[in-house]
Amino acid sequence: MSKDADLVKKLQNPALKDIAFSELLDVYQERLYWHIRKIVTTHENADDVLQNTFIRIYKNIQKFEGNSSLHTWMYRIAYNESIRFLENNNKKRYDHIDAISESHLEVLFEDEYFDGDEVQKKLTTIIAGFTEKQQRVFQMKYFDDLSFRKISEILEVSESTLKSTYYTTVKIIEEKIFL
Amino acid sequence: MEKSTENNNKQNFLKEGFKGDISKHHKKYLGTEIPEGYFTKSKSSILDKIKEDVKIEVSIATKKQLVFWMRPQFKYIAAASLVFIFSVTVWLQSFNKTDVLDETNFELFAFSDDVLIESLLVDESEIEAFTDATLFNEILVKAELSEQKLDNLVLDNLMLEDSLLDNYIDYRLIETLVL
Repeated sequence: MSKDADLVKKLQNPALKDIAFSELLDVYQERLYWHIRKIVTTHENADDVLQNTFIRIYKNIQKFEGNSSLHTWMYRIAYNESIRFLENNNKKRYDHIDAISESHLEVLFEDEYFDGDEVQKKLTTIIAGFTEKQQRVFQMKYFDDLSFRKISEILEVSESTLKSTYYTTVKIIEEKIFL
Repeated sequence: MEKSTENNNKQNFLKEGFKGDISKHHKKYLGTEIPEGYFTKSKSSILDKIKEDVKIEVSIATKKQLVFWMRPQFKYIAAASLVFIFSVTVWLQSFNKTDVLDETNFELFAFSDDVLIESLLVDESEIEAFTDATLFNEILVKAELSEQKLDNLVLDNLMLEDSLLDNYIDYRLIETLVL
């Protein structure tokens, strides 16, 4: 039995749930935090969304049937929570989630937990210029090191489309970053 | 020389990708940071929040059990009572309607049966006598009476006309003779 399968078994057992959940936090908290942080921009927002994500995981773990891996299932919850957070917080200001990217840079560069140099700012600016989907694909692959199969399960997009999107974004970054 | 350094940088960017420490990786490429000891604090904060939520859920469930009309059993009892009352009402209404119809039909059928039985028991000579008497009274007597009335009327008129004519003739004769 894999480590995740063992963890799920414990999480679905009421007697072991709390201990197993603490273990789950140790393994996945940091990875989910960075996944969320890149979507919601600031540390403060990421902290809120991370908390909501884990509460949702705790409450819904009994419903997890193992159709996907635990890792993918939690990423999907984190992704959906982040998108919901953005939509709720930006409803008044933006008509579409793509429009959020326009203010993304302003908010990010003003965040007290951002300390990027010129190259980092440049990379962030290039990524912010991508469509919402391109950003997610690049970030999940490049920064979160997820396989194309897992990204495909999270975003519900075919692997071939993801590969094409990813290599397009990498090419654009390579061309622009050293200009 | 500059061009070859640029090409090396491009290749490095693609090759480096994710290596072990996810937080360091984000710091290196995106300049994003997190507060000191954040994940330890965040973990205890998430666990506290979950304990709090579980307590709230338990207290709501307990309250539901304590308050009679919030107990799940109450819903079933209430639903069963409503169904019973409705059924009794419908049954009583249909029961009363059946009684009235039965009584009416019974009286009607009893009366028609009596008539039929009586008609079978009456002698044919009696029926003939009855029809003769009815015919005599209704047709012959009435016809005779109406004929007599007509004759009287004609005679009266004739007599009246004769007397008036006589009177007139007498009057004219006297008048002529005198004048």
